[in-house]
Amino acid sequence: MDDITPEHLLYGSILLYLAAAFAAILFSRSHKLCTIWSQVLCIAGAAAGTASSVALLFSGQESITISPFEASIPYLSISMTLDHLSALFLLILSILTFCVSIYSIGYLSHYHGKRNIGLFQFLYASFILSMILVFTANHAIFFFMAWEIMAVVSYFLVVFESEKEETRKAGLIYVVMTHLGSAFLLMAIMLMFYYTNSFALTPVSLDQIPESGRNIMFLLFLVGFATKAGVIPLHIWLPYAHPAAPGNVSSLMSGIMIKTAVYGLLRFVFFYLGVSSPWWGVLILLLGVISAVLGVLYAYIEQNMKKLLAYSSIENMGIIFIGLGVGFLALTQEKQTVAALALTAALLHCFNHTLFKGGLFLSVGSVHYATHTKNMEELGGLIKKMPVTAVFFLCCSLSIAAVVPFNGFIGEWLTYQSIFASIASGNAAMNITLILSAAALALTGALAAACFIKLFGISFLGLPRSEQAAQAKEVPFSMNLGTGVLATLCLLAGLFPQTMIALIDRAVVSVVKASAEPILRGSFLDLYRPINFSALLPEVSFSGSMTAKPAGIIAAPLVAAIAMILLVLAALLVLRLFGGAYRERRYGTWDCGFKELNPRMQYTGTAFSKPIKIVFKIFFRTSKDLKRSGDDFYHPKAMEYTIVNESPFEKYFYIPLLAWITNWSRRLKFMIQTGSVHTYLLYIFVAVLVLMLYNRMV
Amino acid sequence: MDSYFDILSALILLSSFLLVSHKRIKSYIKTFRIQSALIALTAGIMGIDSLIREGSFDILIVCVIIVLLKVIYIPRLLYRTYGTVEYKVEKDFYLNIPLLILICCGLVVFAYFSVSNIGSLDGAHLNLQVVNSFSVILIGFFFMISRKKAIGQMIGFLVIENGIFVTAFFSTHGMPFVVDIGIFIDMITAILIMGVMVTRINEKFESINLDKLKNLKG
Repeated sequence: MDDITPEHLLYGSILLYLAAAFAAILFSRSHKLCTIWSQVLCIAGAAAGTASSVALLFSGQESITISPFEASIPYLSISMTLDHLSALFLLILSILTFCVSIYSIGYLSHYHGKRNIGLFQFLYASFILSMILVFTANHAIFFFMAWEIMAVVSYFLVVFESEKEETRKAGLIYVVMTHLGSAFLLMAIMLMFYYTNSFALTPVSLDQIPESGRNIMFLLFLVGFATKAGVIPLHIWLPYAHPAAPGNVSSLMSGIMIKTAVYGLLRFVFFYLGVSSPWWGVLILLLGVISAVLGVLYAYIEQNMKKLLAYSSIENMGIIFIGLGVGFLALTQEKQTVAALALTAALLHCFNHTLFKGGLFLSVGSVHYATHTKNMEELGGLIKKMPVTAVFFLCCSLSIAAVVPFNGFIGEWLTYQSIFASIASGNAAMNITLILSAAALALTGALAAACFIKLFGISFLGLPRSEQAAQAKEVPFSMNLGTGVLATLCLLAGLFPQTMIALIDRAVVSVVKASAEPILRGSFLDLYRPINFSALLPEVSFSGSMTAKPAGIIAAPLVAAIAMILLVLAALLVLRLFGGAYRERRYGTWDCGFKELNPRMQYTGTAFSKPIKIVFKIFFRTSKDLKRSGDDFYHPKAMEYTIVNESPFEKYFYIPLLAWITNWSRRLKFMIQTGSVHTYLLYIFVAVLVLMLYNRMV
Repeated sequence: MDSYFDILSALILLSSFLLVSHKRIKSYIKTFRIQSALIALTAGIMGIDSLIREGSFDILIVCVIIVLLKVIYIPRLLYRTYGTVEYKVEKDFYLNIPLLILICCGLVVFAYFSVSNIGSLDGAHLNLQVVNSFSVILIGFFFMISRKKAIGQMIGFLVIENGIFVTAFFSTHGMPFVVDIGIFIDMITAILIMGVMVTRINEKFESINLDKLKNLKG
């Protein structure tokens, strides 16, 4: 037998997913059988996909191409190329699919007998398959087809619980926004063909497309992909669609589907269009900064767990975009190593975000499975009822809050490093932008940490706030296994980032032709060594013939961590020495003289986020309303306090736009579609005459 | 031979002008019958010509079908449809007749302008016939727009069909037999359906004035 090559594995993976889709239909009568068969096949497909991408990344081959069949349609080629960039994203997809499919075996059991599981499994497998096609398509039209399949299938998955009004609304917003994005992409792809007469995704030379054409194409691609990424101000679908979808689907959507936008930007802008104007990079960077800061702010005030996570996804996409923007800027200044560093950071954060956000969505799915609520004001005390879920949730939360030694830290750390490395040389305006971005990133990090303290604290600690929460039980083993694998990977990726960086480095090299790996040498905590800045900086020449390199900045996380540990130890020591002896007392918390403590006396999520809400009230448009009932002002019988937060983007942009379009279309309907047969005939007649005239003129 | 065709094509064009100038539905049908007879004559002349030259009966058969279908059967069908519809004196057109005629003259000029440069139809005599028959199509279309009542639309449709037939005939001197038969069958079907529809519209709206259909709009 021949050796198993990455091609075979990729074929195998695709066939396994196809088999999963058809098994779902085949066994759709028996829900249990259907779930198990289909998910097991998906798990096998994910394993094959992982093996395929890792094999390619380590084999040293540039790329592999498979063409399952020849398309007879002109200008269309259905062939898939797995190069290093695709392989990286395939790897991320496969790891996530592996865990989510394990999780789904247990999770879907609560749908058994109630819903069409066969349909769900079919859509689930096709969704994953469509993303594989997006990552491997080497032809713009084929890419677009896969992109659309992905959009439509994910829409059906979002509206799976379609009897709920809010789900249908979420689905509508999602499908409209995603097709808006697709429209921009389609325009860009058409322009691509207009200028080059080809749909092939090979880099174009600078003289093939004029400057203005490049700029327009860049903007179209940016809007198209940013819509999918949920970057502010194109984010409005994300906080609706993620909460509406079933837990495993939102995990896939947030974990990997929005990353297709990052892949698209890298493939179409960095790889295809190439690097020309610096303002492209600035635009990407600014979008990233806005998304990161506003995303986390909106996340912070949310009480719906899944909505909170959805906003947090926006924030993390912002961080990834910051990495991309910095990388692009560095490329325009021909600082390849800095660019490589920035892209490594962006891709690493992509990978990390997939792990922890996938894990978080799965855990929230588990909480929903056990308590049937997503509102954290109805939860509490879950750490006692669901200890395993709580531990994994905590791991993922620590990762997303960028706490050492979990993986979230590394991506953000490298992003900071790449920003700092770009600051060192460049013009003043650029430097100020970069410094402000770093500051915004710092603010984001702090708010994200606070946000997840809130999420974990309110829902897992304290006393249960509702009957469901009090009666929650631990979820089935397979669900915990799926979440657990992701949480463990978070820890491992944080402890041994070198492995992942080695893989990512190959993808980065294929894009920017430079590697950041040598300056990140080391393993385990050694990675957190200061980057050797002097290697990145141009030599500064002093008067005369003397040249010297500026000294590197010493900001080693290892040093910082040791310093922090020492500081804490010192503080403990001081407390021990001067604070007297340590005594343990066990008794009930003082309850202010009431009879007993009840859950309503706890700190609520709303209260927790109030200070931040006051500070940043310009972004929330909060309106408060206090209703008293009863005759006497001073002795009301009941009081009702409502707070409404409005997103300024929806209020001042989307809603007026929508109203304008509706109004305009209604007027146009009366103008064009009059209902008169004669007018319709006249349209045809005029069209014929114009065509005849055109024929004469040309 | 070509001079006959020139004259016949001009007469067919004239008959469509005649159609536009009529005010009453009965005269529409009569004019359509005259136009169809002229087309049958054209086909007959060409059929005899091809019988003498090549010995083929195809075009003569087409001629016979035209006579049976367009001169006898369809006008009778139209009369019958007209008979089922309640008679109402109403102004049947949007613009007045002299203006309609002028617009039709403009359409002929436009057809001349746009068809005259088609490369494969080069040559003065052929060009003129094609221009005339092309104008018949445009006038037929315009007739459909200008008349309010549903029978006007049926007649307009038939005139467009006549125009297309004649255009094909003059530019190719006889299309393949199968194509002609196919077109005839399509046309009969269309006319039968339209006849039924007109009766239905009349039942529903108590008029065959298509303006009433505006109420159907959602």
